[in-house]
Amino acid sequence: MTTETLASLIHFLGILLLISSFWILTSSQIRTSIRAYAAHSFFLALITGVIAIANHIEHLLISAILTFGLKAIVIPHVFFRMIRRLGIRKEVESYVNIPFTLLLAVLLVFVSFYVTRDGSFLKPVAFGECIPLAIATVFFGMLMMTTRKKAISQILGLLLIENGLFLMAVTMTFGMPLLVEMGIFFDLLVAVMIMGVFIFKIRDAFESIDTDEMTGLKG
Amino acid sequence: MTIEKVLGTPLVFAFLCLIPCSKRMTRVIFTAGAILAALGAWSFVFGVSGSPRVFAFGGNLMMDSLSAVFVLLITGVGVLSSAYAGGYLFRDGETAIPSVKLRRYAFFFHLFLFTMLLTVFSNNLGIMWIAIEGTTLASAFLVNTDDKKSSIEAAWKYLIICSVGISLAFFGVILAYYSAVARTAVGESGLLLNWTFLLENARQLDPKIIQLAFIFVLVGYGTKAGLAPFHSWLPDAHSQAPAPVSALLSGVLLSCAVLGILRFHILTTAATGSNFSGTLLVVFGVFSVMIAAPFILEQKDYKRMLAYSSVEHMGLAAVGLGFGSAIGIYGALLHIVNHAFTKSLLFFTTGHILYLFQTKEISQVKGIFRRSPFLGAIFFAATLAIAGMPPFNIFVSEFLILSAGFQAKKFVACGILLVLLSLVFIGFLKHSNQMTFGESEKVPVKPKSLVMNGVLLVGMVLILMMGFYIPGPLQHLLQEASRVAAGGASL
Repeated sequence: MTTETLASLIHFLGILLLISSFWILTSSQIRTSIRAYAAHSFFLALITGVIAIANHIEHLLISAILTFGLKAIVIPHVFFRMIRRLGIRKEVESYVNIPFTLLLAVLLVFVSFYVTRDGSFLKPVAFGECIPLAIATVFFGMLMMTTRKKAISQILGLLLIENGLFLMAVTMTFGMPLLVEMGIFFDLLVAVMIMGVFIFKIRDAFESIDTDEMTGLKG
Repeated sequence: MTIEKVLGTPLVFAFLCLIPCSKRMTRVIFTAGAILAALGAWSFVFGVSGSPRVFAFGGNLMMDSLSAVFVLLITGVGVLSSAYAGGYLFRDGETAIPSVKLRRYAFFFHLFLFTMLLTVFSNNLGIMWIAIEGTTLASAFLVNTDDKKSSIEAAWKYLIICSVGISLAFFGVILAYYSAVARTAVGESGLLLNWTFLLENARQLDPKIIQLAFIFVLVGYGTKAGLAPFHSWLPDAHSQAPAPVSALLSGVLLSCAVLGILRFHILTTAATGSNFSGTLLVVFGVFSVMIAAPFILEQKDYKRMLAYSSVEHMGLAAVGLGFGSAIGIYGALLHIVNHAFTKSLLFFTTGHILYLFQTKEISQVKGIFRRSPFLGAIFFAATLAIAGMPPFNIFVSEFLILSAGFQAKKFVACGILLVLLSLVFIGFLKHSNQMTFGESEKVPVKPKSLVMNGVLLVGMVLILMMGFYIPGPLQHLLQEASRVAAGGASL
């Protein structure tokens, strides 16, 4: 593969990644959001895999496979089981309506590209155009965590932030050392499980999983 | 002893606690585990205090005198807390907690100790990040021990806010790694994230990138350490957790996060040769005290009052580290040690008070002294200590931190701190005076268990002693640790 075709492949995958993160943010149903997250993770794994193969970095290939297995299959599966057991039928509830969310998201993408326009400060080892994408993903995750009412959407936001940071690490330094990467995957899986347990506790105590009911503690 | 064994003990006991057996047996395993872990850790720490660094696990784990101080703290407070929890949570009677739940509690308690020890033993900054995230996950269940609405709310906020904060710190870790990858020619990628390696090659790192990394780490680990304005989870979690857990959270968890910041602070100072990170620490430290003071003055819930006091003291420790001179760093480390023991003692007393009065409201608690002179005396003395009254230990370290500030001619910061500290003092005196000596009818009290009262007594003796005399080995260790912490500046 020549450098040019490689660059355009990464470019193409990057666009798909961005589209899927918009999809997570704007879908009105929690099921669709989870599917979009799976797609996002899938493209993330593809980008990682392509970079790993192109640069012959074995440990990065392992993290690409792990990303695919854990974030594109296992975690979405856990989520689907969770919402089945919770019996969520209602749509995504947000403090901000979807058109306005979209507007904010577009704005955040512009901000991400603007803050990274000066390439001399950060010289990533892999494809520099992924850096603003990574930052945008982190921003999207934060937007999701702050504007959504459902506890489950907040977990999704956290996972989105994690995906963004992962992309950041991949493009800047070909990922973290394998030992660290493994630890992060383990942490992530445990975090999703523990938060899952808490969602059921919240449902039982508050009779809904809307976090805007949580106003008991102040001062 | 080796690092692996010290780390292994709480991990093994975590799983031992899960063995289904009688409540009494679980309690024995639970407390014995903490005691064994402490004995092992202490003999290890004082056994190797001659050599500066001990490595393990391919250089990913390391103990220097700085981490040794924190190991002593974690295991020390761990023993007190587990002994107290042995009486507090393993109680019998109507409010007894089912034994399945107790076993799970014991499991997470030891896991929490393990993750904190892993944090302070990490040489690899990536592993340190994983361990700090691990502390959040392990302690979330401990915060929500009673499954009440408010505890679930507190635990959820704790999980979410700390996870987001920590993810920002991860960005800092990536940047630090990047600065090493970009500037050094070493092919061994596993080595590049090691703190010792980064420090030795600090001059080659891009100072701009390291500064950026420090900002992210300060915000990220600062969330965990309870520095304002990222402290919003802290009063909720501390007030809802059961007393022995609050003691651990406030006493050592916050300190572990401060160690994370300190490691990056040393690195940044060495890489930039300026006091960039120190100045930021002073600013955030003073701001934390500023936020905490009015909340302490006007507080209605005594556990939240103590939680805000933790924000204040973490702020003070950050200020001391930021001043950067030998006295300042020594004072800050001593302050962390003093705060750990004083605050955990205070949280233990809240367990007693909650049992006696069945409320967390300050206005509902009157005349502790009349009902239980023992508890009243210890509670009042401990609040005086935490407010910075001589002859107690906190006074000594606060005095050291402030004198370091005056020596460095940071008059504005010191002036603000002095005003705020006197406000905090007034607040504590006002609340604790009313709680201890207010009018109340004399109600016969069932005495609490001997072990729990023993824990209070041990804590009291410790904080009184530390005010007059710091034991020789600890003194030596603290001096060595401040030398490590000041190492960045001297390079």
